[in-house]
Amino acid sequence: MATVTASAPRALPGGLLKHRAAQKLLLLALVAAILVPLANARWASGSWPAALTVDLTKPLTSASNWIIDNRDSNPLFLYFFGYISNAVVISVHAVYLVLLAAGWAGVTALGALVAWRVAGVRLALGTAAAFLACGLLGMWVATMQTLALMVVAVLVSVVVGVVLGLAAGLSDRLDRGLRPVLDTMQVLPAYAYLLPVVLVFGMGVPAAVLATVVYAAPPMARLTALGLRGADKEVLEAVDSLGATAPQRLLTARIPLARKELLLGLNQTIMMALSMAVIASVIGAGGLGDRVYQALASVDVGAALAAGIPIVLLAVVLDRVTGAAGEQAGEESRSLRPWLYAAAAAVAVALAGRLAGRLDWPDSWTFDIAEPVNRAVDWMTAHLYSGVPVVGGTADWAGHFTTWVLNPVRSGLQGLPWWSVLLVVAALAWLIGTWRTALTAVLAMAAIGVLGVWQPSLDTLSQVLAAVAVTLVLGFATGIAAARSDRFERLLRPVLDVFQTMPQFVYLIPVVALFGVGRAPAAAAAVVYALPAVVRITAQGLRQVDPAALESARSLGATPAQQLRQVQLPLARPALLLAVNQGVVLVLAVVVIGGLVGGGALGYDSVFGLAQGDLATGLVAGAAIVCLGLMLDRVTQPTERRAKKGA
Amino acid sequence: MNVMDKPVFSVEGLWKVFGPKADSVPADPGLTSLEPAELRARTGCTAAVRDVSFDVRKGEVFVVMGLSGSGKSTLVRCLTRLIEPTAGTIAIDGEDVRAMDKSRLRELRRHRAAMVFQHFGLLPHRTVLDNVAYGLEIQGVGRSERRARAQDVVAKVGLEGMEQRRPSQLSGGQRQRVGLARALAVDPQVLLFDEPFSALDPLIRRDMQEEVVRLHREEGRTMVFITHDLSEALKLGDRIALMRDGKVVQLGTPEEIVGSPADDYVREFVRDVSREQVMTVGTAMRPGDCGGTEHPGALAPDELVADAIKVVARSGKPACVVDNGRCLGVVDHERLLGVVAGTEPRKEAA
Repeated sequence: MATVTASAPRALPGGLLKHRAAQKLLLLALVAAILVPLANARWASGSWPAALTVDLTKPLTSASNWIIDNRDSNPLFLYFFGYISNAVVISVHAVYLVLLAAGWAGVTALGALVAWRVAGVRLALGTAAAFLACGLLGMWVATMQTLALMVVAVLVSVVVGVVLGLAAGLSDRLDRGLRPVLDTMQVLPAYAYLLPVVLVFGMGVPAAVLATVVYAAPPMARLTALGLRGADKEVLEAVDSLGATAPQRLLTARIPLARKELLLGLNQTIMMALSMAVIASVIGAGGLGDRVYQALASVDVGAALAAGIPIVLLAVVLDRVTGAAGEQAGEESRSLRPWLYAAAAAVAVALAGRLAGRLDWPDSWTFDIAEPVNRAVDWMTAHLYSGVPVVGGTADWAGHFTTWVLNPVRSGLQGLPWWSVLLVVAALAWLIGTWRTALTAVLAMAAIGVLGVWQPSLDTLSQVLAAVAVTLVLGFATGIAAARSDRFERLLRPVLDVFQTMPQFVYLIPVVALFGVGRAPAAAAAVVYALPAVVRITAQGLRQVDPAALESARSLGATPAQQLRQVQLPLARPALLLAVNQGVVLVLAVVVIGGLVGGGALGYDSVFGLAQGDLATGLVAGAAIVCLGLMLDRVTQPTERRAKKGA
Repeated sequence: MNVMDKPVFSVEGLWKVFGPKADSVPADPGLTSLEPAELRARTGCTAAVRDVSFDVRKGEVFVVMGLSGSGKSTLVRCLTRLIEPTAGTIAIDGEDVRAMDKSRLRELRRHRAAMVFQHFGLLPHRTVLDNVAYGLEIQGVGRSERRARAQDVVAKVGLEGMEQRRPSQLSGGQRQRVGLARALAVDPQVLLFDEPFSALDPLIRRDMQEEVVRLHREEGRTMVFITHDLSEALKLGDRIALMRDGKVVQLGTPEEIVGSPADDYVREFVRDVSREQVMTVGTAMRPGDCGGTEHPGALAPDELVADAIKVVARSGKPACVVDNGRCLGVVDHERLLGVVAGTEPRKEAA
């Protein structure tokens, strides 16, 4: 019964839908009426009952200790992980040395020439300017460290992703098995991947690279499979009708036909790798992320910004260049000669730089922005933090947000009896999705309790809820405005483009400058990070509403407000639900990272675990983050999304 | 005309059933006699092709015609096992297609039967020339040779000067010329067309039909042509198999189909055809020698009634039908009008 309802709720008339929703709630209430008194009688407690928790600290600590003790002797580590670890270190180091040997002139020239071949003159100039800016900010070496790590991580991710994608694209059974795994990996916060890798490989470059690969490979795999499956059936039939063998069919038709998706996958993989390579500074990746991390730890906004700007520049350049490659897929000529010229020119520039003895970025050419930025921040602290007439100050805002929103939500959540939290989760997930998603959500939430991190998880959850609420209000309003005004959308688009390419980590810098540290700035960073996606999905959803329906409403004399309320919003419901889902997932990702700037709760626990070598605490917090991510995704997962993906 | 030749394709009792336990349907007489809707209700299976038999003779254009869902596209795909038939036999030049192993089947697809598709099925990332050469590439023909051969075919279908364009830069008609060229480039024994022109504009479609007529006249290649368009079928087909619900309801020359429909369905189908454009003088004439030795303004028996009307109207007199100097019969106003009106006596069995 439940599955039938859930599989086609939109096709049902409104009255019946409400009826079904009421049925679901009724059934749930019935179950609750039986289970709650039982549970309450046995474990009467507001918070998660201690009797139902399993303390994993001891086994995890001993496991981690065992690993540390045996890392140099156990054959598994010696002959498997050891080799992986060495290979990673050697290749990252090799790439780094090559980049240094090419010198700043060589690297800049190479970047610009590649951008020129792929995307034209304007992007070539932009690329060159971005590299030079990295040097000017005194971040050349750090940029090259990050780049070296990324090159290796992206190569491995692409190989892994393409292999998995080919498997899933060609075999239905593998696709069915792999799809939910990849779907789930997509919604987990980047942070959650760090700890298990550290457990096996310890802190350092290998762990950072592998965490990056785990995070960045899924989009490549997904899009490869999607491209292979989306190929025009008739083309494949034509290829068969000419007598192609299976390898011929794959190489001459399926892969070339999927080229667009493959390049999009490459783009996403590179962006996610950059994002993760920066976050992985927490586990010893070094490079730009490390500079940001160190600077944030000492609340040195100027230094953080000096490292943050190269990250943003790198992100924008990489995104634009790979994006342009995807857009002109199949259009450009196959000729190799321009590439050879480009390569020759890059080598020439590198040699010239070498002969001129200017391999390293000259110290005298750097421009220290940390100083002036910090002065500006000090001025802001003095003048804008509080006491500004009428509007108050930024610190006041943060304080009010904490006092009036975050604290009441947190104490509200923590004050609720544990079983009622589970009930609310179940009800929401079931109303929006299917009984399956509801079950997963409830189990994930219960797992948090079992892990014994109920309180901090609810703290994190309260931050997520507050930030999501703000994000949705702002996002829907902006999205509606963008959908209604072409001019506004044109103005907004480049801003959204840049914001969507930036790694999560970078968002922490400005909020620390504005609001100091604490839970409010973490929530603010999350809002800023999630907002572009919500705005974009909302605007797109509203714009894709059937023009005929809108036209008929207009012809009946509906006012713009009526059109919006009665036609656009109801028809754009799937898009709006997707926007909520994305908003929640993205907010959680940043709220967790907010542990670095005083967000506390789960994020702090996992950082603390890493920093203190107390992996048990970190791993439990990481597992709770995973559960929270799963729960939030399932609760907001519209049925349509499942159906569409399944198709 | 080429009756003495052995058939190229010989299809016997062919079945294609989609659905669970499809294999059991053709073998069960209780199921084979069911109507499609009943069969689906009973077994969950859809029979796309039901007990179809026909021969395709060498050098003819064999048209399979039917409305959408009649199973004609499934039928043509069964010929080279792009869709695996459920039951029945298919032979090409006497060789059993269903018994072929993978490599033999590949050989069949590479050299003996090439197909032209409704939506062209071109590879968007290749130029026109490389698309045309694709079949040869798959066969392992060297680059320069396959390009030279493709170039010849490109010229044959009237695409000179477009060799380096991509499919996306071509119009629909041009794309289908590429599809046609790709099939021709492998020099197949049989060309299979799956509704090749139904995605084209009417004017372009007429051009392409004439192109096919021209190619057939020049090369005499055997063709199997699938269409849902009756006028296209009548225009191109030497023989037409009319399908309905997976069955062939009538198989015959255009004249036989129009002149003596097998049942009400076919009759309804051909009702609006301009009969004078299909029926020949040989059918319309009153048989019997005119008796004279001279036959002024004589007509050949395979001439169309429409042409005979012009002759008769101009001279005002009945015209003789002469074949090889022998007078077969006479057509007059009454006979010709009878054809136009559809009231002429049924053609006696040939």
